[in-house]
Amino acid sequence: MSIRLTRRAALIISVAGAAFSGTQLAAQEDVLRLAFIPQENPEKLLGDIAAITGWLADQIGVPVEGFVTIDHAAAVEALRNGDADISFMGALPFVLAEAEIDAVPLLSEVYRGAPSYTGRIFVRRDSGIETLADLGGKDIAFADPISESGYLYPLAEFVEAGLVAGPGEAEAFFGRIFFAGGYQQAMQAMAEGLVDAAGASQYADLLLTPQQQAEVVWIAESEPIPSHVVIARPGLGADLRSRFVDAMMRLNEAGNRGLLRYLYGPDGYVRADPAAYDGVRDMARRYGLL
Amino acid sequence: MVRNLTRVMLATCFGAFLSFGSASADPAKEAPWYPDTAAYRLTLFLGNLKPLPWNVIEAAWSDPYRNSEFSMGALTWLAETSNANTSSLMDALAREDRQSLFAAATRLIALRIEEELDRALDADDPASAQQAVRTARELYRAFADAVAAADPEASRRIGLAWLELNSSLGSAGVLGAGAIPAERETMNAARSVISDYLADNYLVDDFAPRLQLSPLPETAIAGGRDVEMPPSLPPGSDIFDQDPLPLLVLNFEEQGIDETNLPLVAYGDMLFDSARIFGSPARDLGIACSTCHNRSDVNQRLFIPGASHQPGAIDVDGSFFNPIFNDRRDDPLDIPSLRGLRFTGPYGRDGRFASLRDFTRNVIVNEFGGAEPTPFMLDALLAYMLEFDFLPNSMLTAEGTLTDEALDAARRGEEIFNRPLAGLGDRSCASCHVPDGNFLDRQAHDIGSAGPAYEGARAGAFDTPTLLGTAYTAPYFHDGSLPTLAAVVNWFDETKSLGLADAERSDLTAYLEAVGSADEPYETFDAENTSFRLAFSELTTFASTLDTLLPRRDAEHILLLAETVVADLSADASRMSNLAGRPEVYALAGRLAQVGAAVREEDWQTAEAHWDAFKVEAETIQERAF
Repeated sequence: MSIRLTRRAALIISVAGAAFSGTQLAAQEDVLRLAFIPQENPEKLLGDIAAITGWLADQIGVPVEGFVTIDHAAAVEALRNGDADISFMGALPFVLAEAEIDAVPLLSEVYRGAPSYTGRIFVRRDSGIETLADLGGKDIAFADPISESGYLYPLAEFVEAGLVAGPGEAEAFFGRIFFAGGYQQAMQAMAEGLVDAAGASQYADLLLTPQQQAEVVWIAESEPIPSHVVIARPGLGADLRSRFVDAMMRLNEAGNRGLLRYLYGPDGYVRADPAAYDGVRDMARRYGLL
Repeated sequence: MVRNLTRVMLATCFGAFLSFGSASADPAKEAPWYPDTAAYRLTLFLGNLKPLPWNVIEAAWSDPYRNSEFSMGALTWLAETSNANTSSLMDALAREDRQSLFAAATRLIALRIEEELDRALDADDPASAQQAVRTARELYRAFADAVAAADPEASRRIGLAWLELNSSLGSAGVLGAGAIPAERETMNAARSVISDYLADNYLVDDFAPRLQLSPLPETAIAGGRDVEMPPSLPPGSDIFDQDPLPLLVLNFEEQGIDETNLPLVAYGDMLFDSARIFGSPARDLGIACSTCHNRSDVNQRLFIPGASHQPGAIDVDGSFFNPIFNDRRDDPLDIPSLRGLRFTGPYGRDGRFASLRDFTRNVIVNEFGGAEPTPFMLDALLAYMLEFDFLPNSMLTAEGTLTDEALDAARRGEEIFNRPLAGLGDRSCASCHVPDGNFLDRQAHDIGSAGPAYEGARAGAFDTPTLLGTAYTAPYFHDGSLPTLAAVVNWFDETKSLGLADAERSDLTAYLEAVGSADEPYETFDAENTSFRLAFSELTTFASTLDTLLPRRDAEHILLLAETVVADLSADASRMSNLAGRPEVYALAGRLAQVGAAVREEDWQTAEAHWDAFKVEAETIQERAF
């Protein structure tokens, strides 16, 4: 699809909801601007943004605007220059944003009862591959070179096992390394036999057909990775920040849980613990990203 | 019954539905089709129907497909996102030229892939290039299953090319850190693999005539090879179970009798859930009796383009399921509930089958192209279906009168329901919907709900449907043309000139809602009482018939059972809440497969040993099976 997104805040949709329509925005703190990272279907994301920002505006009492940025860097840039107050972000880009612009973690996503998940190495059940060492000289597909669960953490397992000397040395161990473009593409490549293994989120096998799911197993699992995080620019006023967090926490209530599908579909949110991201900070340093 | 979800996933082309790298993945969703790709696949599917529904094909290009996440149809989408020329396509549609339409649509999709690949190679940043490749790959999905079926070697070559291409695009890193430069040479080489194949197979000037429309590559067709495409449903199809799931009320269960002690019933229960009793394509798509009749009731969401005119309806004698049974009439029917089946004969919307056995055989053999069922299979299916009971309703007495729990409006409606009305020939509603006869009279009547099929024809007569449980089976009438019970009341009032006042119509509606109500209409699930636990319980119950079939050395029925339960158990594991429990369920399915394998070898001792082990293992993992 060719919805063209400019590097910064390309698609701005309004959002204040009926109660605020026509209202002249008086000051920066009278409006809350949320930056979203695009998913597979940007058009759907726009609809989702309209739905969730309308609800948030009612809850917080100020107009809420949402817009889609082309990537994490654009979202951080928007936070830096005040075009965005809040952004949804992965754990790795968050720790970089924290280092660069003092971004503040507000909320962590919860999946299956935990604000963390893992990365795994998957292989076909009939492949005869049982250990990481068995993958020497074989081909592997990862999701993306900057994906925590789809590259960095699974690769760290090979480092931990003494098979890969360190970040940047993986080519010496594997046959070919591919970046497939996402969990599903990596898993599909493995399930179809295009590669011998896939490194992806612990839940990535659920993206395969049920038949394929029965045909794959995982042979290694990473340490826990903090799940995605909602962050704020450092200058956002405490009152507005607090009202936003309170509103988001109300998404955990039974009557509001349906709205979570408009926010990348987590099971809920918890207040973010900055210390929970220490492991990601360490990982970023090891890979020379921080 | 609760396994249709997994069957759907087996039958459809799966793709990603990820957020921006979210920790979670949704196992139930098929990746959304892009509007142009969806229109193409719909065109191929609809183009094989006879008679060919040109108006539906046109709509496939002009309107968003059903349940699309995109708000626009393919033509608008193309106009906004592509420079592709659609004039050949529009011309073929206008001329209703099937071959030209196939050729134009196929070339259009191939050109769109080329267009996105050009964008990827021209992009000046990795993010834009990745987005273009992602789009190109989604477009290639239109052809992917056909290439895999016709040319596995090419399919692998192209699969690797997509991996190469994506890997060579480079990465912008995170906030500038960890950036990876693009590898132009590798990009070009990978792109060539894809483009060369498209040029040879999908960007052809003159496609060979297609008897059957499919995305099979031209080289396979031109080579005269007989390639079989696995059946698939087009975008917009929905054969998932309805949500909430109807509650199943089985007479024996209500009396405290365990189904494992009723092997014939249990085997029939299995058959009701088994797509293997049907022929292709239903069999390959995982469509079973329970696909339409969820838990003996209806499936309000079932929809297949070209075979359904609205959700909850299906034309079972069209050309899709069994071409030899195609009546060439566009007459989809609203799916009827099977609750209380032993009281609702004759069968079929027009009551054309006096015998449930004959009706059931007709469904298997004629409507869905299955092999002739054995007498045992028909006995079992009937034994099971005759246990379907109506939903308990504390607002009704056994004689069909309202109890004290009913509202006053319903009571006033009850009087109207039983009142002789001039517009009904001095009969009442209750004359046909007999309250002490389960609200039906087992007669077919022509009430004018269907127009005459031809000039001079008598309009259609339909079997009087029961009113029990109807609060949950909207829409109404044979074609589902009336959305609510209030609309039904209004229809009778207007077409039969009943002269009811507004308040009377409202009261009569309240009465119908009370009669059609139930104390507990739907299954309820929670954290551990999951739909998988229900499925696990059912599947192990089905398997319990081996206690009867193994001593009888009944290989034919054992193998049918094993094939059904092994596949379903394994597929169902994919939707367990307890993800850690999946390996045990896979192993259990494997154990049952060993029973089947031993039976095939006529090694009955080994089969019995595996069956004994299965029972122990099933018992062991039962608590974790959620």
